[in-house]
Amino acid sequence: MALINIAAHEIHCKIVYYGIGYCGKTTNLQYVHRSIQPGARGEMLSIATETERTLFFDFLPLDLGTVHGFRTRFHLYTVPGQILYERTRLAVLNGADGIVFVVDSQAEKFEENVQSIAELEMNMRRIGKDLMSFPLVMQWNKRDMPTALPVNVLERYLNRRRVPSVEAVAFNGRGVFATLRTISKGVMAQL
Amino acid sequence: MEQLTNLIISDRELATISSVLSKLMNDTNATSAMLIDKSGQVVAVQGSELRRNATTLGALLAGVFSSSREVARLLNEKDFRNIFQQGVQENIYTSMVEEQWLLVIIFDKLTHIGLVKVLSKKASEELGRTLERVRSDTSRTKSSVLNVQFRSSVEDTIDLLFRD
Repeated sequence: MALINIAAHEIHCKIVYYGIGYCGKTTNLQYVHRSIQPGARGEMLSIATETERTLFFDFLPLDLGTVHGFRTRFHLYTVPGQILYERTRLAVLNGADGIVFVVDSQAEKFEENVQSIAELEMNMRRIGKDLMSFPLVMQWNKRDMPTALPVNVLERYLNRRRVPSVEAVAFNGRGVFATLRTISKGVMAQL
Repeated sequence: MEQLTNLIISDRELATISSVLSKLMNDTNATSAMLIDKSGQVVAVQGSELRRNATTLGALLAGVFSSSREVARLLNEKDFRNIFQQGVQENIYTSMVEEQWLLVIIFDKLTHIGLVKVLSKKASEELGRTLERVRSDTSRTKSSVLNVQFRSSVEDTIDLLFRD
């Protein structure tokens, strides 16, 4: 749910990176944090376990500066990917304005990806949102892996809604900003 | 319950919210008070200490609240509507306003928690009435802000800032 503060001349939007464990959600945020000009970002916050797996969420506030008199901010969140944390994912999804679904392209992760999308659909219903009309971008991540499935296979089985998709290797930054651009525009178009 | 798409706070509502927060701070002798949306976005802040870290605090406190509601669910408890975090120097009391906002008060050991609870409840009721007005006003004010020029400028900014 975007917050438009007319009095303070601010617009805040929330974007959530969703997907299975180790698919690269945190890596996306880390790359954005590393690469964007320092004035446009706040500190990145990670609530992670000792082994650096996301326990609750990562949080990165981005500031687009003043656009037509309104300070526009995007708050990026990730959910914990491990199956165990289903209810935590639901908690982080609350109030989201857009979702990036990060897919681990490796063949051995295919089934997990399918289950995760089904879970996302269910969670969206739980918070009263219809994924069909919600800003969503699919990111085909780990395109550099030897067992990565062809993009047309991923599109056919994981992108039935035919939402925008981006190929990525988040580790070296490929596709990271293209994904962010696409979802940000999608969110603004829905406001 | 279906979530709102946008929440638009006008000058008048922000003035009311700020005055409720100020009054609550003064009456309880609290160090800071803030109103956040349950999604973690900060609506208003009072108190200079808090202002610097308000964005991060908003995200974290909304997360804590959200997580506590899940705990309630697992315990078959209807709801946990308030959270009290007790520190050595500072304490935080968070309470829900009408399923949408969280009222957060930060106070030190000189303030009694009982006073904070009672006055927060009173402030929450007033904030609840403001929220009602905000909800009913949302569609009317939107078009004046999100006009074609704004949308086009924001797209240009996105392209410029989020470039590879």
